[in-house]
Amino acid sequence: MNTADYFLSHASDDALAFITADAQVSYSQFKAMCARLAGELIQNGIQVGDRVAILAKNSPFWAAAYLATLKIGAVAVPISNLYPPDEVQRTLEFAQCKFLFIDKPAQGKYANLCSRLSCFLLDKSHFQGDPALWPESDPGFDLDSDAALMPTSGTTACPRLVRVTHRNLQANTDSIIEYLELTAAERMMVVLPFYYCYGASLLHSHLRVGATLVISNTFTYPETVLDMMETAQCTGFAGVPSTYQILLRNSTFPRRELPRLMKMQQAGGKLHNALLQELAASHLAASVYVMYGQTEATARLSYLPPGLFHEKMGSIGRGIPGVSLKVLNENGTPIQPGETGEIVAWGENISPGYLDDEEASSEKFRSGALYTGDLATIDDEGFISIVDRKSDFIKSFGHRISSYEIESCLLQIPELVSAAVVGLPDEQAGERVAAFVVRKTGSTLAEQDILQHCRARLARHTVPAQVIFLPNLPLNAHGKVLKSELRKMGKAA
Amino acid sequence: MMQAIQAALREYIAKNILFAPDGFSYGDDDSFIENGILDSTGVVEVVAFIEDHFKISVEDAEITPQNFDSISSLTVYISGKLNHKN
Repeated sequence: MNTADYFLSHASDDALAFITADAQVSYSQFKAMCARLAGELIQNGIQVGDRVAILAKNSPFWAAAYLATLKIGAVAVPISNLYPPDEVQRTLEFAQCKFLFIDKPAQGKYANLCSRLSCFLLDKSHFQGDPALWPESDPGFDLDSDAALMPTSGTTACPRLVRVTHRNLQANTDSIIEYLELTAAERMMVVLPFYYCYGASLLHSHLRVGATLVISNTFTYPETVLDMMETAQCTGFAGVPSTYQILLRNSTFPRRELPRLMKMQQAGGKLHNALLQELAASHLAASVYVMYGQTEATARLSYLPPGLFHEKMGSIGRGIPGVSLKVLNENGTPIQPGETGEIVAWGENISPGYLDDEEASSEKFRSGALYTGDLATIDDEGFISIVDRKSDFIKSFGHRISSYEIESCLLQIPELVSAAVVGLPDEQAGERVAAFVVRKTGSTLAEQDILQHCRARLARHTVPAQVIFLPNLPLNAHGKVLKSELRKMGKAA
Repeated sequence: MMQAIQAALREYIAKNILFAPDGFSYGDDDSFIENGILDSTGVVEVVAFIEDHFKISVEDAEITPQNFDSISSLTVYISGKLNHKN
């Protein structure tokens, strides 16, 4: 079945699909929006396999543009509205996009795009008039054709476009629904952008079960999101580590009742144990799902069952339904407990590769498996714990040092909102350990306080050689720390 | 007082958030969110600046678009806090 039909087939027409700051959209209204935009694409000559870009903030219009593109067999290319104009232009050209869905703020920011490409403005004034008909399903539809080209966050390298097929989307969505036990009764607060695979997974899974997505684009002011969660009686929330760092240490989140909040999802990087414990303690009735994934796996690869949250604290769990995860050493054989190896994944959610990048694809995807680039250990029950990104390991005085271990120690200091550790070139050591930290507003915590804390808890060779205070850590469009930028800052200092 | 507050905010945001050597080029009523001037980490920086520069305390619950989302609204918020303090 075409993925757009797959997403819409379980919903009750009267149920709410979306709640935003100024509107509520039922599934019947949403289906009409999707049909309108599918018709627009057909009228503009967009055909099967053509690439259609979406450049807009999260909204029901964004979702309708996405489903309309999937429905006619075209390929959705979601683009971050935080990219500078030349980056947007490069992505459009690289993907050879033939059409662009854009909203008013993006139209103002990227002024020249619509003079070079057929565009449709995602604005409510364009959705009036007679309801359009949803195109007929194509019985010859190929599940292994590309559905979307997703930008990968690339914390160490330039972004690439990951090919995601219809089979990938449906397989991963089915798995996510199963382990999160999602139902039509869910009301999911969405602050993560839909152009990010994690944000997209929220859209996919909640549409598929006919649930409601509550969209907020104002996480810049977290209190507005919390107010909306109360008003809309949200049952779920999803965040990356930086989301939860802000909520836990710079907002009233821990003091808000939120009685309907039942599920908190955490993925997009490691949230260190000190903050995980604060998160679990903040809303005792809610389950915390610690999860792990990559864009190259559509979204999700593993999860830790909430019932094992405390017993397996710090683990990313085991493979989600339909996904096989192994941790392999350099010889390609599974490691034993106590050893470290690379996480390798198999499943119908694994992308066929990057767009037009054979070299990078062959490095990452080998014999149908995804080589994640994440180093991990495994316990005797098969629960995996990430040690570090392969590329982020610090090599100092002959030791291989995990930045995660040091970051975890730093975040035990309540006055720190965030911390990131990298290796900087050092003549004697090879690399020295440098900690970049962000203090809570008003904190006067000094370098010596931090080093004293580390000396009491870490092996001597892992104590940072220097602590650099920043007003905030550089993040990419997905909210992940850009360690490459920190290394540049450190070298320049 | 209002003009001094506005000037301090424009200078801080232009220099430290926008990295714009030519100064703050937006209008005083332009939304920070809509124009991509501030993100969630930028707001934290602005709060730190306000507390340090104006010697007032900003409560988490006060960090709302009504108080924070433009030079004009921030100015009104800060002057209200200063008047209350005095």
